[in-house]
Amino acid sequence: MNGLRRICSALLALALLAGCGGKQEISELAIVTGVGLDLSDDGEGVRVTAQIVRAADARGQTGAPAGGTGEPIYSVSAEGETIFEAIRNLARVSSRRVYWAHNFVIAMSEEYAREGISDMVDFFTRNHELRMETKVVVTPDRAEELVSTRTGIEILPGESIEKLFWYSDIVGEAPQTNMMHIEEMLLSKTTHPMIARAKLRKAGISNKKPEKGASVNQVELAGAAVFKLDRMVGWLTPDQTKAAVFFIQKVESLTIPLACPKEEKRKATAELQGHRFHATPSLKDGEISFRVTMDVAADLVEYGCNEPLESALPDLEKLLEEDLRGGIESMLEVAQNDYQVDFLKLGDRVRNEYPVYWHRVERRWDGIFPGVEIEVDVHAEITSPVLKVRGGRK
Amino acid sequence: MTQQDELLKSAYSESLDDNVEKLDALLGKSIDLIIRPFVLHKGKDLRARCYFTDGLTKAAEIDTLLTGLMAFTEDVFGDREELTGKELTERLLLNFSVRMTHEIGEGITAVLSGDTLLLVEGVGAGLIVGSRGWDMRSVAEPATETVVRGPRDGFTENIRTNTAIMRRRIRDPNLRIEGMQIGTRSKTDVNIAYIKDVAKEGLVEEVKLRLSRIRIDAVLESGYIEELIEDAPRSIFVTIQSTERPDKVAAAILEGRVAVFVDNTPFVLVMPTFFWEYVQAADDYYSRYWVGSFFRQIRYICFILSLTLSPIYVMLVSFHHEMIPTELALTIASGRAVVPFPVLLEALLMEIAFELMREAGLRMPKPIGQAVSIVGSLIIGQAAVQAGLVSPFMVIVVAVTGIASFAIPNYPASFSIRLVRFPLIVAAGFFGLLGFAVFLFAFMIHALSLRSFGEPYLAPAAPFRPQDQKDLLARMPWWSYEKRPSIAKDRRRQPSGTKPRPPRPS
Repeated sequence: MNGLRRICSALLALALLAGCGGKQEISELAIVTGVGLDLSDDGEGVRVTAQIVRAADARGQTGAPAGGTGEPIYSVSAEGETIFEAIRNLARVSSRRVYWAHNFVIAMSEEYAREGISDMVDFFTRNHELRMETKVVVTPDRAEELVSTRTGIEILPGESIEKLFWYSDIVGEAPQTNMMHIEEMLLSKTTHPMIARAKLRKAGISNKKPEKGASVNQVELAGAAVFKLDRMVGWLTPDQTKAAVFFIQKVESLTIPLACPKEEKRKATAELQGHRFHATPSLKDGEISFRVTMDVAADLVEYGCNEPLESALPDLEKLLEEDLRGGIESMLEVAQNDYQVDFLKLGDRVRNEYPVYWHRVERRWDGIFPGVEIEVDVHAEITSPVLKVRGGRK
Repeated sequence: MTQQDELLKSAYSESLDDNVEKLDALLGKSIDLIIRPFVLHKGKDLRARCYFTDGLTKAAEIDTLLTGLMAFTEDVFGDREELTGKELTERLLLNFSVRMTHEIGEGITAVLSGDTLLLVEGVGAGLIVGSRGWDMRSVAEPATETVVRGPRDGFTENIRTNTAIMRRRIRDPNLRIEGMQIGTRSKTDVNIAYIKDVAKEGLVEEVKLRLSRIRIDAVLESGYIEELIEDAPRSIFVTIQSTERPDKVAAAILEGRVAVFVDNTPFVLVMPTFFWEYVQAADDYYSRYWVGSFFRQIRYICFILSLTLSPIYVMLVSFHHEMIPTELALTIASGRAVVPFPVLLEALLMEIAFELMREAGLRMPKPIGQAVSIVGSLIIGQAAVQAGLVSPFMVIVVAVTGIASFAIPNYPASFSIRLVRFPLIVAAGFFGLLGFAVFLFAFMIHALSLRSFGEPYLAPAAPFRPQDQKDLLARMPWWSYEKRPSIAKDRRRQPSGTKPRPPRPS
């Protein structure tokens, strides 16, 4: 009995003395769903823009009386010398505690990225509230604007940018980049980061003024920014990114428009179905070289040529091979000559295959990479001409 | 020893007047006590008296008694001097149940139980003639544990009817029903039923020992007995099962358990009891085993939900927002945008409102009870949310918790789960995951430490008993139950290979 009383009073004291330490009601938080990082106007510090959800309006009628403007988000920005200071300064304008755990996306402007992203990676990985699967993009526009732009379908702009990544597998024009990938690439001794590019483009058609055509800003995810260490050095075009993605990620699908073998103006389209991609290093006489092989199985999904399919098929396959090889080679050209940066994880492959050699060249890899000979070999096969027509308009 | 106790212990004398004096002193004058003096041998003027209680007796039995004695005594005995109780029983009393007693107190208890006490001049003993019979509720469907498929009879308030229902189910000579009386004033009949060669040795003795230690003045319901013999008197968990269903008791007895019947209540106690039995319904064993297993799983889920759902909600919303999926977090946040209370208070308010409705619905007369629930659900479900007092999510959480707790077949067990939930909610609201986990584990460890008549309370899950698993999570088909649970002494239930199959074509 005495023991029971003692335990009870201990529990009671614990509850009363500790109070509700650390308690924070969910409705008292400013839940951030997107962050934009720009250089501040004087160029010295950083401007952080937070896209904060106004939950009551983001969810509409839930039985509770809704109050407010009807805007699902509320965007505020604050400046500071460092990211942390800028975020602290957000409290000057935000009536609620800024809460980061549900952040979808971190957008950086090109100027910011060119100054170096290691601060950003450091801050966003140290903070315990932030998640490693937050997506990261670089934009040629102002990040502030990108983060605050409402897109058409999703209620929350941050969410819509994140969801672009889900379906970027289909176009294959942007790498999947979240904090985890970026940290991994940044810490790696062999690889330099490559981050997806998001851009505002007038792609949305206003329903009220359809005659104006595409006039509403939407976020487009295509291309990538290439980094040397933590500083951005340049862009990859969507086509170059398509080829680069093969090296670092699994590609689900890809559409490749082809010109008809005998008529330049007519087109056919192949859809990449399955492929095997290998980039194999080989060491000969102390010189490293790569052989990239790609076995592709594609479907023909559009066929506008006049020539019967049977006779055109071998030519189409050859065209497909050339197209893919051309894409990879031009991308390698850019990587090796223009940027001279290995963002393709080729160094990793060397290290895995030839650890002893790698140990010797590790420090000099950035110098060696531009001169490495890379042979590209593509074998394509159109396995399923899905079309019903036997080809030809006549 | 008081004078009354002395009188109760004293023996009957040969003189009728002496005996009458003692009985008058003890019984006094009650309006329902009927004393019927008569003469059974006119020649010898042999006087006699019957004592019985009006309302507890069958008039026909007393008629028979009087007829036998008054009409035939002279014919049978003639002029013989001696007239012993044994001879009276053997030659004159036509009633089916007669026994002799030498102690005054025993006769009095018999009279108050509905039997008739016969005293005859010159016989130094009392004769107790069975004449019990009174109005009672007939056998009806149990109100608390209903089944879709299964017998519809339930126990009644009459202990004899109840043991008869048992006998109708198990016609085994080894089914023993032993009687005793508990309660110094109420003298309530308590019967202990078990199958002699199935119940483990020592179990029946232990039950009897614990029952014999009860010194209470009255036993009005089996709940008294339960609290006076259980292993963990301070625990919130119920370590003795009580049920209104005869089939449940029969199944328990067949598994080697002991049932305790108490007079004047339809609730029979079954011991030892395992925690998991509260999640098992009688239906499980009567419907197809696929269905039975499925619904049993549902009940396990219900058990977990009713225990943890609202504490987890409180914990997530007030501390661990990062653990909620983003979309859901926004929905919750939007629902809570206008709620003025912290979520802990909101949860306690709603839980108490729910308990209020349940209790009010139970206490009100049945026709009004419906009105209570309609008004209650309107206020709680609709108005409270629209007024911005509680969030719609909280209503859903509490409603699901409540419904889940109703799905637990055993009423006392579902109560104890509901009670445990309140400290869990408070702990989760004060300390978040830490408090929730500490409390939940404290309860689990406590449950682990319990025993019910020597059996670990959480068996066969912990300690893990591989041979008993067939009836824990799933209900296996009957032909696969070759053995009884390990609490039984005689383990073999049926020979192996009883799985039915069509005859093979020859």
